[in-house]
Amino acid sequence: MLEFWLELAKGPIFRFSFALCVLGLARIVMLSAWGAAKAYYAAGDKELPYSLIWRTTIHWLFPIRMGLRNRPFFSIVSILFHIGLIIVPIFLFAHIQLWYQGAGLWWPAIPRHLAEFLTVTTILSAILLFLARVWSSASRHISRGQEFMWPLLLIIPFLSGFFCSHPAWSPLSYNAMLLIHILSGNFILLLIPLTKISHCILTPFSQFISELGWHFPKNSAKDVEITLGKQGQPI
Amino acid sequence: MDRVRRFKLLLWSICGLAFAVAFRRFLLGLGSSTNLNDGTPWGLWVGFDVMGGVALAAGGFVITATVYILKKEEFHPIVRPAVLTAFLGYAAVAVGLLADLGLPWHIWHPTIYWQHHSALFEVAWCVMLYLTVLALEFLPVPLESFPRLGKIRNFLVKNRLILVILGIMLSTLHQSSLGTLFLIMPYRLHALWYTPILPLLFFISAISLGLMMVSMESLITSYLYRREPETHLLTKLCKVAAWVLGGYLIVRILDLLVRGEYLAIFENSWQSWWFIIEILISAIIPIVLFTSKLTRGKLGWITLGVVSGVSGFVLNRLNVGGIAMAGTTDSFYFPAWTEFAISAGVVSGAALVFLFAIEHFNVWEHPPRDEEDEKPYTLPRFAPVGTIWLGDPHTAGMKRNSMAFVVAAAFGFSLLPFSSLESKGLIKTPANSARGKDIMQIDANRDGFFVTFDHKKHENSLGQTQSCAVCHHAKLPADEQTSCAACHQDVYLVTCIFDHEKHKTWLGGNQSCTQCHPAGQNRSVDTAVECNHCHNAEDASLVLAVQESPIRMDQLNMAGSYVDAMHGLCVTCHKEIAERIYRPLHGTCTTCHPFVAEESKYEWDKLTQTTASPRWVISTPLLQENIDVEKLKESVAAQ
Repeated sequence: MLEFWLELAKGPIFRFSFALCVLGLARIVMLSAWGAAKAYYAAGDKELPYSLIWRTTIHWLFPIRMGLRNRPFFSIVSILFHIGLIIVPIFLFAHIQLWYQGAGLWWPAIPRHLAEFLTVTTILSAILLFLARVWSSASRHISRGQEFMWPLLLIIPFLSGFFCSHPAWSPLSYNAMLLIHILSGNFILLLIPLTKISHCILTPFSQFISELGWHFPKNSAKDVEITLGKQGQPI
Repeated sequence: MDRVRRFKLLLWSICGLAFAVAFRRFLLGLGSSTNLNDGTPWGLWVGFDVMGGVALAAGGFVITATVYILKKEEFHPIVRPAVLTAFLGYAAVAVGLLADLGLPWHIWHPTIYWQHHSALFEVAWCVMLYLTVLALEFLPVPLESFPRLGKIRNFLVKNRLILVILGIMLSTLHQSSLGTLFLIMPYRLHALWYTPILPLLFFISAISLGLMMVSMESLITSYLYRREPETHLLTKLCKVAAWVLGGYLIVRILDLLVRGEYLAIFENSWQSWWFIIEILISAIIPIVLFTSKLTRGKLGWITLGVVSGVSGFVLNRLNVGGIAMAGTTDSFYFPAWTEFAISAGVVSGAALVFLFAIEHFNVWEHPPRDEEDEKPYTLPRFAPVGTIWLGDPHTAGMKRNSMAFVVAAAFGFSLLPFSSLESKGLIKTPANSARGKDIMQIDANRDGFFVTFDHKKHENSLGQTQSCAVCHHAKLPADEQTSCAACHQDVYLVTCIFDHEKHKTWLGGNQSCTQCHPAGQNRSVDTAVECNHCHNAEDASLVLAVQESPIRMDQLNMAGSYVDAMHGLCVTCHKEIAERIYRPLHGTCTTCHPFVAEESKYEWDKLTQTTASPRWVISTPLLQENIDVEKLKESVAAQ
């Protein structure tokens, strides 16, 4: 029975979630580009310092130096978290083997020890991030439900994956652990284009748009209000 | 607009499903996504997409001829939708053809490599030219939105008559030449459908079908956009269609009478009933509904008649294109769901373009109005799940539709197995063990052609009971007459014989990984220790027979195919002995496979025609030794 579910999770369910993830992200990018283009053509005053906006956008896409100035602990943990989160699933040898068997695709893998180290750092930093979010009242107040959920949800595939590669320490049988690992991974893939994790592809867009906003001419908000005919109302 | 919105959602979903299927079709080829076979190489995509699509697009030339040549100005309101339908119909044909061609990137070949004896050559040129003509005919409509390109528009409008005449000419050629395609198969196509006047029948039916298709398109769009149906025009169109249908029916019956095949209608076979059904729904029901005093001019009956006629003629094209051949080809074909998905996706795509054109250009006198567009600025919304910014409501339709597309595509991907091994190219042929004891019949794939193997004689000549290990893996763990087929499990494919699960259990479950896979390294076949790490002389019970056998250690996990294993075992020895005793015949294929020369012609034909075993023929040593198969066939025929 467990084998049947494993086959299902590895096959149809994975293909569904992966396709939904890739196509969903492509959809979001296209919609954003479409919206941006539409706004650009609708805008009246297009005199903006574009070169400056580009430069600051790219600058803020790698916020290491600026992040360290403000809440350094949180920033470092967050960066560590992201490194493991991105590298391990993509460059784990066992995952590449699956791609090779299923689709004939192949790319270099990271060594096993590095993968294990990154897995542990990811799990620990996810816990720390969750605690930091709960601890700081400022963070708590601007957080939605999914912000609390995500670090905890992301721990599941990493922890189960760790137990899969160390079956001796595993509290469950190998196949049961593997099923948890695959299903949770599929679930995360499924949620990526539907939740805030879509920032993995939308960050450049949102960064660019917010930079644009910072460089709007003076009193442009008033103009927008007048154009919309909504003076004194929420927009 | 609510109906349109729901309809578009459905169309986008179908397109998404078709996207996933098309991805697989173009990645892995026709075998992986269709049920086509050598007996039925033309399936749903040709019958429905190409032949049906062309016929359904006939409305374009019929209506333009009516309005611009016959000067019936009353039909002017439906010219633009008719031309657009025709254009999209032909575009759908081109897209469907891309899916159906085995080498779609060769689609441009007819333009350079001319084969003027082929009916398909004419079809190809007509499709290309008529698609261009239709594009030019419709181009003035979208150009209305670009005042800067007014000169081009004026030029096209001024020369419209030339385009119309060209369109009629090309359609006449093309609609009929689709029938010409089937003139070369008088014995393949059933007598009720095959006739020398197929081109004429195709042309006449295309005219009536064009009229009905224009009516259908008008009915659907007026339902979707809640417009007043053009009942007055539709009644007139249907009246003309009824006349043409009557002509078609008379020609078809007369043809059967003249050819003397009319008795086939009453022979009570499935073809005869199928023919009666086709004639009934394609011609008789529409004629009755369009002409009877009770029903003509009433929208519900018109709709029924039009739907019946259109589906009847699509059925007619499917029949001529394949169904009516099933009796003679004797090969079973039913389209795979993937084929239906592509066909439906192509139609949905064309319908979406049609709706887009209707909403954005003056295909009608005024584009339909969307209440959502007319609301001034509404407040932005957030998605209820994940509270993602949904943007302004004006793009809500786009978001909804694209989401439907993505979900449907993902669903399609989940249904399709994405491994090239799943295609029909590699059929597994499980190997069976030999039958008999002293004289064995070796017929691994149980196809009735066996090698007679004198076990007793081999045993005697190789050294009595001491000789078992010459041929058998005598030291396999617990070997007791283990059949070759136990490891060489497929006749043509290799089999993995390393049992990972069993080794894991023997060595102590989940904690045993590091006994074979070194700690700290990625675990795979490449990094695992070799078999003789454990299976060595220190423990005699674990020594593997394979160490003494000709099997190479680096391929330890894989047992070769049954054919390769047997040939390796027998032929090597036989050739050696043949040289030693100067009897070359002892080492030839026919020594063991005598049936190839001796069996009757019937058996030979069966062997060469069986679709399941083309690889058998290729992997047979007979062909490997360059024996002239044609000559052999002839000699068998002479006997």
